[in-house]
Amino acid sequence: MSYIDPKKSSRSAIEVGGVPVNIVVAPRGATGDKREGLLTIFYKSVKSLLTGMKVTIGYLVRPSTVVTQQYPENRETLKMFERFRGQLRLVKDENGYMNCNGCDFCEKACPNGSIILQDRRNSVSGKSELERYLWRLDSCTFCNACIQACPHDALEWSDGFEAAVYDRRLLVYTLNDYAGPPVNHIKRFKKKAGTPEDRVEELLATMEPRHQYGGPTPLSGKGMPGVPPLKTD
Amino acid sequence: MAVKVSTLDERIKLTDSADSPLDTQEYFINMGPQHPATHGVLRLMLKLDGETVREVIPVLGYIHRGIEKIGEHSTYRQFVHLTDRCDYLSAMMNNWAVSLMVEKALKVELNDRIEYIRTIMAELERIQSHMLWWGVLGMDLGAFTPFLYGFRDRELITDIFEETIGCRLTMNYIQPGGVMDDIHPNFVDRVKKVIEYAKPKIDEYEELLSGNVIIQERLRNVGVLSADKATSLGVTGPVLRASGVPLDLRRVAPYGVYDKVNFEVAVGSVGDCWDRYWVRIEEIRQSMSMIEQLIDNIPAGKTMLMKPAKKTVLPEGSHYAQLETARGILGIYAVSDGVSDKPVRIHMRSPNYNNVWSADEMTRDSRIGDLVANVSSIDIVVPDIDR
Amino acid sequence: MLDFLFGQLVATHATFDVVTLSDRTTQALAEDPWLAAGYALLGLAGVGGFLSLLGMALIYVERKVAAHFQCRLGPMRVGWHGMLQSVADAIKLLLKEDIIPDRADRVLFLIAPVFSIIATTLGLILIPMSPSLQVVDLNIGVIFISAVSSFGVLGILLAGWSSNNKWSLLGAMRAGAQFISYEISVTLSLLVVTLFAGSLQLSEIVQSQQDGWWIWRGHIVGLVAFFVFLIASTAELNRPPFDLPEAESELTGGFHTEYSGLRFSFFFLAEFINMFIASALAATLFLGGWMPFHIGGLHTFNGLMDLIPPGLWFAGKTTFIIFLIMWVRWTFPRLRVDQLMRLEWKFLLPVGFINLFAAATLVITKLYFFPW
Repeated sequence: MSYIDPKKSSRSAIEVGGVPVNIVVAPRGATGDKREGLLTIFYKSVKSLLTGMKVTIGYLVRPSTVVTQQYPENRETLKMFERFRGQLRLVKDENGYMNCNGCDFCEKACPNGSIILQDRRNSVSGKSELERYLWRLDSCTFCNACIQACPHDALEWSDGFEAAVYDRRLLVYTLNDYAGPPVNHIKRFKKKAGTPEDRVEELLATMEPRHQYGGPTPLSGKGMPGVPPLKTD
Repeated sequence: MAVKVSTLDERIKLTDSADSPLDTQEYFINMGPQHPATHGVLRLMLKLDGETVREVIPVLGYIHRGIEKIGEHSTYRQFVHLTDRCDYLSAMMNNWAVSLMVEKALKVELNDRIEYIRTIMAELERIQSHMLWWGVLGMDLGAFTPFLYGFRDRELITDIFEETIGCRLTMNYIQPGGVMDDIHPNFVDRVKKVIEYAKPKIDEYEELLSGNVIIQERLRNVGVLSADKATSLGVTGPVLRASGVPLDLRRVAPYGVYDKVNFEVAVGSVGDCWDRYWVRIEEIRQSMSMIEQLIDNIPAGKTMLMKPAKKTVLPEGSHYAQLETARGILGIYAVSDGVSDKPVRIHMRSPNYNNVWSADEMTRDSRIGDLVANVSSIDIVVPDIDR
Repeated sequence: MLDFLFGQLVATHATFDVVTLSDRTTQALAEDPWLAAGYALLGLAGVGGFLSLLGMALIYVERKVAAHFQCRLGPMRVGWHGMLQSVADAIKLLLKEDIIPDRADRVLFLIAPVFSIIATTLGLILIPMSPSLQVVDLNIGVIFISAVSSFGVLGILLAGWSSNNKWSLLGAMRAGAQFISYEISVTLSLLVVTLFAGSLQLSEIVQSQQDGWWIWRGHIVGLVAFFVFLIASTAELNRPPFDLPEAESELTGGFHTEYSGLRFSFFFLAEFINMFIASALAATLFLGGWMPFHIGGLHTFNGLMDLIPPGLWFAGKTTFIIFLIMWVRWTFPRLRVDQLMRLEWKFLLPVGFINLFAAATLVITKLYFFPW
C-alpha cells in the first residue's frame, strides 16, 4: 500500500515501428526501498480526503456556481444558437412566396425517408411545381443532409425546440403553406416578353392553400379505425 | 496454436456443485441488460462464488439496429450520419472515419483548413468524451458528485459544437470531401475560453478523484490486463495504452494534421484500472495542448470540396480507413462494385466490440465491485458494440 | 471584570433538572390519570409525528445540500424552493402499487420493513433533546441504543433473504457482515465516553459534560473516539462511502431492490432517522448534547453560554454532524467489500481498543481536563 501522487508522471521518448513517440507513463506510487512509512501514507491519505472535501464545499458555499436552468421560467431569455437544428421549414420571401420548386434533391438526400415530396404541373406556366412537402419529424434525425443538398436554398432550420405533442400524427408536417409556383417561376414568368398582367394574376391564382396538418396519410389528421380524428388547432 | 472454442452452452454450466450442505456453490447472475453499471443495455452473465466473480460472459445484441445493413442501402454520405449513432461520444471521429475512407478511395486531396477544423473538432470531442467518462466512473464507484461536474464541463464543449453545427451529440459534421459548415465566427474565441476554463477544472478532477485514497485503492492493481493479453484480444485505445503499448494512430500513422502538432502519448505500465484512469485524464490534457497549438493557425480555404448533391461512386474493390476515436481504433471497410453509389458491403471495426471482451480477462477471481470498476474503466458505449 | 458587569445576570451557575416524559407520566399517574394519559399520548404522537416529519425534512435537506455540492438547485417546484417536495414524494409513495414478488417469502417480506422502522423508533425515544424533552431515560441508555440499532440489521437481512432475488441476497449478506463488524467499533467508542462519564444513562452523560465536552476534555482520546464513532456509525447507517448493502451501481439497490411504495419508504425513512439518531448520539456523547459550551471554572463565560437554550445547542450540534455526514457522502466514492472489512478489523478495531485502554488510564489517573 502506498499513496500515488497523480502529478508524478515520467516522460520518455521511444520508437514504435520506426516512428519516434514521446510517452508519458502513469505514476504508480513508491515501491521497494522508496516505500513510505505507514504514518506518511496515513497522513497523505487523510489529506487527500480533506482535499476532496474542500472541492465540494467550495461549490456549496458559492451559489454562483449553480448551473441549473429553470427551463419553463426562462423561456424569454433562452436563446438558441443561430445554427441550431430545431425544425425544418421552407424559406419564404417577403411576399410569402417560397423558394422550393419541388426538385426532389432533399428527398433523395434524406437517409431515412423523412421527406416526401409531391409535385404537380402548373396549368398556366406548364412547369412542375410543389404540391405538398411532407416532413416527418418523428423519423427525422436532424442530419442536415436535405439543407446541404438543396440547390435553391429553399430549406432552413427554425430554432423551435418545443416539438413535443401528445399524438404522433401531429409530427407529420406539411411544410408549404401553399401549393403553387415558387418565387423563381413567378419572376421568370413576369420577365417573359409580352406576358400580360392578367396572365400573371392567373398564375398566382393557381396557388392553393395547404394546411400544416392537411397531409394525405392517416398519420396526419384523418381518422383511423378506433382512433379519434385529430384536433389540429 | 490450438484455440479451444467454448460455446455459451458450455460456459453456462456450473463446474462446482455442492456435495455437502456446508459446501458453497457457484451460481449465475445476470448483470444487465437493465443495470446501472452497464451503461445501457450490455448484458453480462456472471458466474459467481459468493462475491467473487469466476467468469464474465458478455451477451450482446440488445441494441442491435443493423447499422451495417442499412449502410448497404445508403449512399456514403447518408451512412455518415448513421455512424453518429454508434459511438455517440465520438460521433465526430466516426464521421471522419467514413470520410477518410471515401477520400482515400477517391484520392481527394483536402486543403489545410478542412484538416485543421477536423482535427480540432475531433480533439474537442475526445475531451468531452473523456470528461463524461470521468464522471461516470465516479458514479460507478459510488461518488455521485463527479458525474455532475463532468457533465457540467462537457456541456461547454457541446455548446461549441452547437454554435458551429447546430447539434450537440449526433452531429453529422465531417463529411466526405470536407465539413458540413464553415466554423462559426465565434468558434475560435469560444474554444479558447473553454480551454482556459477547463484546465483548472482538470486539476480539480485530480483533487476530487485521482488524489483520493479510496479511488486509488479501488483502482490500483484491479483488473490487470497484460500487454500480451491486450494485444491478442485486439484491444485498442486508452485500454491498450494503459497496458503499456504506445499504439496511438494519431502518432504512429498520422491523419489530419496530427503530424504537425506536438503531443505525448499517455501510457501505463501495469494495465490496471488506475493506469486506464490516468491515461484518459492525461489524454484530456494532451488534447487541450493540441487544440492550443492549432486554434490560432487555422488557414483560410474552402470547407467542402465534393458537391453534396453529386453521386459518389467509389472505384471497384474494397476500401479501408482507420483512425483513433476516444475509445480506440475505428476502421471502416467498404466494398464497392464501381457502379452504384451505395456500398455492396460496409463493415465497422469498432473499438468497443473488441474492448468489451477484455472484461472477463480483467475480472476473473475478483469482486463484483471490481467488475464495475473494470467495465467503467474500459469505457464502453454499448450501441457501438451491437451497431 | 466580566463578573462585575454581568454579576447579577450570571451570578449562579445554571443547573439543569432532567424531567423526561415518562417521569411526568409516572408522577401524574397518582394524582391525575388523565394528565398521565395525556403525557403518554403526547409521547406516542410526538415520536410518531417527529419520526415522519424529521424524515421528510432530512430528505429535503439532503437533496438540497447534495444539489448545491453538485452545482445544481435541487427541488424547486413544489412549494417555495421545493419545501413541499418531500410531502409530494410521500404521497406518491403511499399511492404506489405495493408489489410483492412472485415466490418471495411473503411473511418475512412484509414484516422486514417494520422491523427496520421499529428499531429506529426505539432508538429515537432515548435521545435527550433538551432537559425537558426526552421520552424515556433508561439507566442503561447506551447499551439499549447499541442493542436496538443491531436489531435494525435484522430487517435488512430479512428483506434481502425474503425477496428471492440474488442481488438482494448479496446486499443483505454484505449488510450483515458490515453491521456486525462496525457495531464493535461503535460500542468501543461508546465505552470511552461511558468510562469518562461513569454512567450509561444518557442524561447523566450530558450532565457530566457540565465543565466541558468530552471531545476536548478527553484530550486526543476523546477526539479519536469521536472520529471512530463517526466512521463506524456512518458504516452502520449504510451511507456512502459505506453503502455496500445498497451499492446501486453494483447491486442495483441491494436489499431493497424488490421493495416499492410504502414498504420501501419504511426503509428509506429508517435510514434517514438512523442518521439523525447517530448524529444526535455523537452530539450527546462527545459534544455535550444539549449542554451549552462550558469551560470549567469560567463562570461568566459559562453563564453567557447558558443564555442560549439547551434545545438550540442540541439542534445545532446535531445539524453540524448531519451536515458532516452528508458532506462525506457527496464527496467520497464507495469502498470495496474486502476493503471495508479491512478498514474495520485492521484499522478501526485496534485503534478503538488502544483508545479504550488510553481512556481507562486517563480516568484512573484523572489526567483529563477538569477532573472534579
